[in-house]
Amino acid sequence: MRLPALFRTTPFRLTLLFMALFAGAASAFLAYIYVVAVGEVSRVADSEISHEVAALEQVYSHGGRDALRRAMIERAAAGHDFLYLLLDENGHRIWGDIPETRVGRFDERNTVWMRFKVNAPTPGGSVSQRLARGERQKLTGGEVLFVGADVSDAEAYVLRIVSALWGAGGLVVVLGLAGGLVVSRNVTRSVSQLNAVVAAVQGGDLQARVVLRGSGDEFDELAAGLNDMLDRLERSIGGLRHAGDAIAHDLRSPLTRLRTRLEVALLDVEAGKGDPTAALAQALEDADGVLKTFAAVLAIARLQAAGSAPDQKPFDPSQLAADIVELYQPLAEERSLEFTAELAEGLSVRGNREFIAQAMANILDNAVKYNAPGGAVMLRVRRRSSGEIEFSVTDTGPGVPEADRPRVVQRFVRLENSRSQPGVGLGLSLVSAVAEAHGGRLEIDEGPGKVGEIGPGLRVALVLPRAQ
Amino acid sequence: MRILIVEDDAEAGAAMVRGLTEAGHQVTHVADGALGLKAASGGGFDVLVVDRMTPNMDGLTMVETLRRAGDQTPVLFLSALGEIEDRVTGLKAGGDDYLVKPYAFAELIARVEALARRRETGSVQTVLRVGELEMDLIGRTVRREGREIDLQPREFQLLEFLMRHAGQSVTRTMLLEKVWEYHFDPQTNVIDVHVSRLRSKIDKGFDRPMLLTVRGAGYRLEA
Repeated sequence: MRLPALFRTTPFRLTLLFMALFAGAASAFLAYIYVVAVGEVSRVADSEISHEVAALEQVYSHGGRDALRRAMIERAAAGHDFLYLLLDENGHRIWGDIPETRVGRFDERNTVWMRFKVNAPTPGGSVSQRLARGERQKLTGGEVLFVGADVSDAEAYVLRIVSALWGAGGLVVVLGLAGGLVVSRNVTRSVSQLNAVVAAVQGGDLQARVVLRGSGDEFDELAAGLNDMLDRLERSIGGLRHAGDAIAHDLRSPLTRLRTRLEVALLDVEAGKGDPTAALAQALEDADGVLKTFAAVLAIARLQAAGSAPDQKPFDPSQLAADIVELYQPLAEERSLEFTAELAEGLSVRGNREFIAQAMANILDNAVKYNAPGGAVMLRVRRRSSGEIEFSVTDTGPGVPEADRPRVVQRFVRLENSRSQPGVGLGLSLVSAVAEAHGGRLEIDEGPGKVGEIGPGLRVALVLPRAQ
Repeated sequence: MRILIVEDDAEAGAAMVRGLTEAGHQVTHVADGALGLKAASGGGFDVLVVDRMTPNMDGLTMVETLRRAGDQTPVLFLSALGEIEDRVTGLKAGGDDYLVKPYAFAELIARVEALARRRETGSVQTVLRVGELEMDLIGRTVRREGREIDLQPREFQLLEFLMRHAGQSVTRTMLLEKVWEYHFDPQTNVIDVHVSRLRSKIDKGFDRPMLLTVRGAGYRLEA
């Protein structure tokens, strides 16, 4: 037989186990209480009876059977709470206020303890069975003296305690089971929520997330971890999907251009008016352009899909910047640009040198390309007060209007006045991808401002997180 | 120069054979790694051009096997895998240079010739001489016709590379990779500017230019 799902859960089984342990302990405790309570009640009654028996024995030893009988009658009449019975040596009743049969047969023992029922008249006239306890004493003359006490009330009291304890035990079991069920249901609900999300993800829904209850318990922690993992997975898969789409989209237009150019060249050559060599050379150049674009798009897509740049090591950012400055210095001079660098010493940053160098090269490419002769380029490496490492390049070119700044980071976006310059519009996209792959960011601000015809310039900063 | 090409793409292989033959080399082409290993083990090649992914035995394994057997013939890996890690893997397997597909013929030929040359100049040299040009690698000085030329450190490195490959075309990418050790492609002609600076220092004031521009390829230093 299969148990209902709830009863098969681990928490419920644990609850049952603990309940069993608890019930065992509680039973032992109850038994102890019972034994002690009953013992106490009996002990009090028994000691009083013993006193009475001793007193009556005294009377008997002084005055014999008749004196004893009188004493018993007197005592019974005086309202002593005892039950009396006196039998002769043959077991015949001499006097008593209880039936002799209840006392049982005489035997060899002098002193015995016994329990018996007594018929006591109730105020209503009916006869009820009451519980009594008494001591039977064989007297020297062969008579048997019995003194008992009605212990019904005490017994009932003990029974009430016992039944209260049983009731409490039952309540404990019921509450325990109910608690176990509640806990199991809570846990089951949390786990089944996790299971539902896992199943949804297995089914292909990467957007499924566990709803956090805000309790901060292990389940919330697990759920948060699961959500986090799914976020990363989704970003990564999204990145790959995006990369595929981007490559398809980004290569279609240059390939179409190349194809058109070849087609036109073919028509021209067929018509005898084109130069085949020039057309082929042009086509080759176009193909190189496509390949370059492809490489750039691929690099960006891979960085975005990977989420984090490969092969990251600590290095001195100023050293890297100095190398890049050395690479670009002659170019800047050729374009009549004043190129200065301000490189803070003793810094360390963690990253992929090659990617960061390429990002710097891309930024400097732009700074040189879009600058006017007589302008300036300034490269700066410093540590911000936040501990982040900033590589910034400030130029005195036309800058980028504030509204367009978020756009220039997107792939293939080229602003109107930049179309005359070579390039395909991937430079800053790559810088942005490099920044993100290092947990940093790309900042684009206005440069030093407008001075005459020059400016307002642009300040592009690659900000990397502080080295751990 | 004898060159072995291990390339499974028939068209690419045929194109390479043609390009390298026209450049004056003897070329053998095999289409899989096992055949490549057999041919290369026979010896007699100056340079091996090996595709990383070939049937029967991949290029990496083939080169590793050769290197374990003590064969030090220079190897140029060709691969469609262009990530930095791929490059590192190729060089670790025993490759001497790594060219990412697709490539220009000029680039391939320049690199193949550079590899063959590297083997010739195996011994440690302290002075390089190309025609009138003399470079003292220890004193870090350069003279042309005895006249001392003052070079920046990077210009010195650039000239050293050109002198070591004198008479051969070297491409911009090669210079960027070997002199600056960058593996990306700047959008602007930064290398050209460096070369023209160097040219103005070593050729200015002399009647014959030594540092030539090779159209469609790069540069060449002529004695």
